[in-house]
Amino acid sequence: MSETHATPVSEQDADQATGQTTPGETNEQVQAEWLEYEFQGDAKVSATDVNVHYGDDHALHDISMDIPEHSVTALIGPSGCGKSTFLRCLNRMNDRIKSARVDGSVELDGMEIYQDGVNLVELRKRVGMVFQAPNPFPKSIRDNISYGPRKHGEIETGLVSRLLGRDDQEQEDELVERTLRQAALWDEVKDRLDDNALGLSGGQQQRLCIARALATDPEVLLMDEPASALDPIATSKIEDLIEELAEDYTVIVVTHNMQQAARISDQTAVFLTGGHLVEYGDTEQIFENPESQRVEDYITGKFG
Amino acid sequence: MAVDSTPTNDLVQEGTGRLQTIGYVLQAVALLVLVASFALLFEVVDAQSLVAGQSVLTWMGLGFGVLGLGFVAVAGLSRADLVESTPIKSAGVGAGIVYALIGFVVVGLVSSQTLGLQTLWVIPAILAGGLVFLGAVYPREDIGSTLPAAGFMVFAGTTFLTGTIGLDWTWQPIPNGAVFDASMALIVTGFFGGLLGAWTAARAGNGFGSRGRQSGAYLLVSVNAVAMAALLFALVTFVAVRGWAPMTRGIKTGIFWEPVYWFYFQPIQEYVIFQIPGLWFYWPFTMEGAALMNDINGVAPAIIGTFWLVVGAILFAVPLGVGAAVFLTEYAEQGRFTQLVEISTNGLWSTPSIVYGLFGLALLVPRLGNSNSILTGMLVLGFMLLPLVVITSRESLKSVPDEYRDASAALGVSQWQTIKSVVLPAAMPGVITGVILGVGRIAGETAPILLVTGGSPFPSTGADIFDPRFAFTGQFPWVSLNIVNVDPLLQPSSALPYQLYAVISAGLSENLSFAWGTALVLLLVVLGFYAIGIASRAYFRRKLQA
Repeated sequence: MSETHATPVSEQDADQATGQTTPGETNEQVQAEWLEYEFQGDAKVSATDVNVHYGDDHALHDISMDIPEHSVTALIGPSGCGKSTFLRCLNRMNDRIKSARVDGSVELDGMEIYQDGVNLVELRKRVGMVFQAPNPFPKSIRDNISYGPRKHGEIETGLVSRLLGRDDQEQEDELVERTLRQAALWDEVKDRLDDNALGLSGGQQQRLCIARALATDPEVLLMDEPASALDPIATSKIEDLIEELAEDYTVIVVTHNMQQAARISDQTAVFLTGGHLVEYGDTEQIFENPESQRVEDYITGKFG
Repeated sequence: MAVDSTPTNDLVQEGTGRLQTIGYVLQAVALLVLVASFALLFEVVDAQSLVAGQSVLTWMGLGFGVLGLGFVAVAGLSRADLVESTPIKSAGVGAGIVYALIGFVVVGLVSSQTLGLQTLWVIPAILAGGLVFLGAVYPREDIGSTLPAAGFMVFAGTTFLTGTIGLDWTWQPIPNGAVFDASMALIVTGFFGGLLGAWTAARAGNGFGSRGRQSGAYLLVSVNAVAMAALLFALVTFVAVRGWAPMTRGIKTGIFWEPVYWFYFQPIQEYVIFQIPGLWFYWPFTMEGAALMNDINGVAPAIIGTFWLVVGAILFAVPLGVGAAVFLTEYAEQGRFTQLVEISTNGLWSTPSIVYGLFGLALLVPRLGNSNSILTGMLVLGFMLLPLVVITSRESLKSVPDEYRDASAALGVSQWQTIKSVVLPAAMPGVITGVILGVGRIAGETAPILLVTGGSPFPSTGADIFDPRFAFTGQFPWVSLNIVNVDPLLQPSSALPYQLYAVISAGLSENLSFAWGTALVLLLVVLGFYAIGIASRAYFRRKLQA
């Protein structure tokens, strides 16, 4: 059956597809449907034919999708389907992996980010990222938040700048309060901003990481399974937070929790094994009436 | 094995009653024998010393006898099911090998020395070893793990109690060679016999089986830990006791009224305003050099020398070593090159210090003023410190979680800034641990100092690193030393280990107390560096922890 697929499909993929894909249906047909997915507003991030190789391993196949501004986009799919890899293409974090090779085009506000002369500092300031496991620095809560702006030279504090008369303590305080409020953490930590961030609970640490990512004033916020290491209460806080953040930011969130994707996202992209984007569209439509049989099987829990 | 045949609840074992009591008593006896052997080693007691009317030798012989009979009794009681125990089928190959080795050594010694079998001793020794191994491994555990030990104990007890090894016993294995006396025999037998006895008693007292093995292993490791701590403590105490009197000789303190002057204007017109109490403290051993007119010669120049040598070596090696480690860990691609560097740093760390000294003598001394100097000493000690700093810094940089680097990169922070503000602070405690270890080594080095730094081992004054003749001037290069041909860093210096070596090679009989005093001061100086290191490590750790 796999020979009917136009795009290369791994053996494993073919096995899973066997008996579940309706005869005659191909990825191309489905892709033709969702490639015409139209949304209100402009595309903030637009990927075209993105292929990623880790050494000889072809991890992502021809991913093309436009992501609208000020919305939550969920990337879902089983483990190893390439959703995190795709996320890491959007702020060029894959550059940090020596064996990774990225081909294709990713545009941020119409500017190609995979071209010579791209300023990675500027790119990552505009495209912030939150990781799967909370990873605050072993510094105080305040220092965690002001770390980015300080390193970018936007905030100067300390003895020398005080002596030079250009101490930014007030800006720093404002920044810390603003981002912590945005991350719904301010009330819990306002009295211990100078305590070490490692003393916070897991959920608090993750919200601190969100606040830290907001401190560089990004436009796009990438979240790589931000709640998978947290308990249900912390998870629901993070979910509420993501919905609020979508008012000001373009949030792209990877999750393998389908209920979570259904709850929080405006549009959903389904990746399936082997690094293929199988379907992309309005969350409601994906979950209630998916075009592809495989997506339906995945969403209804028949595999994955 | 239950005492009676009625079904019992195996899940709850409320002690093992009599057997446990016997086990505790035997453990206590064995540990006493062990302690006695340590007391003999540190000459707290002699073999002849009378304790409660009997010599230590007799008491230790009695101890062995009690242990031996006790183990026989335990084996019998357990085998006859008179006590509650849970032995398994065999004492195990490991225990078998231990007992076999003991049997091999004991029978070998007896047959070669007492029976005079010459080189034929190998045959009975191997036979005995094999038999003991079988005897330990073949029978059930309660027999196999006690009777071989009992055999050794009874043998040792008989040897000491019957006077085969009496108070006047001596042993000269090689004609005109070293002579061992009864104390030495007691120390060696007491140490191994005590450990063996305590281990066996712990196994037996808890009813053999897995509980017994657990207790035996626990006893062995805890005795190891205690013995190590005791050895270190004894070493430091030994030096402290011997060195305390010479080090503190002639300390004078007092309170006197000190006039406070008010300088009216130049040339000096001074008015005494009032007097305040001043503290006067004189410690000749650490404040004086060695001079003909001194009542008490001191080691002040050597302290100054050691201090500056260590400080200079740290200032040289730490930035260089940490820099190299950062390059190798954070920037260089992990491969052949980094492996090569790793192997060679490990090799450098194990290079003998005299080789470093020769290197400094051949390469640095001719280029740096052509005489032994404190600067070459700093550099050579720095070379010695460098590999350890590289090794430990690399290890601690590697142990910094990659999540920190990812998080920092995702905020758009450059790699160098990430290293500087996240990675290095997180690695700092490990780096400092390395420096602490290294300082312990270089502060005690004698050989390189002998070759590249040492001048007179007993100078009267210390090296002037901050020369009082140093002054700022109005002309280029804006600093000057009033005496042009003295460069403070290029003068030879003494150092504590070097001075200690000089005292010893000059003949111990006259200067023994001076040597012990110097050793104690060296110990204190090293401990002082340790204290600084440990305090700064604690400071960095606290910053990293919640």
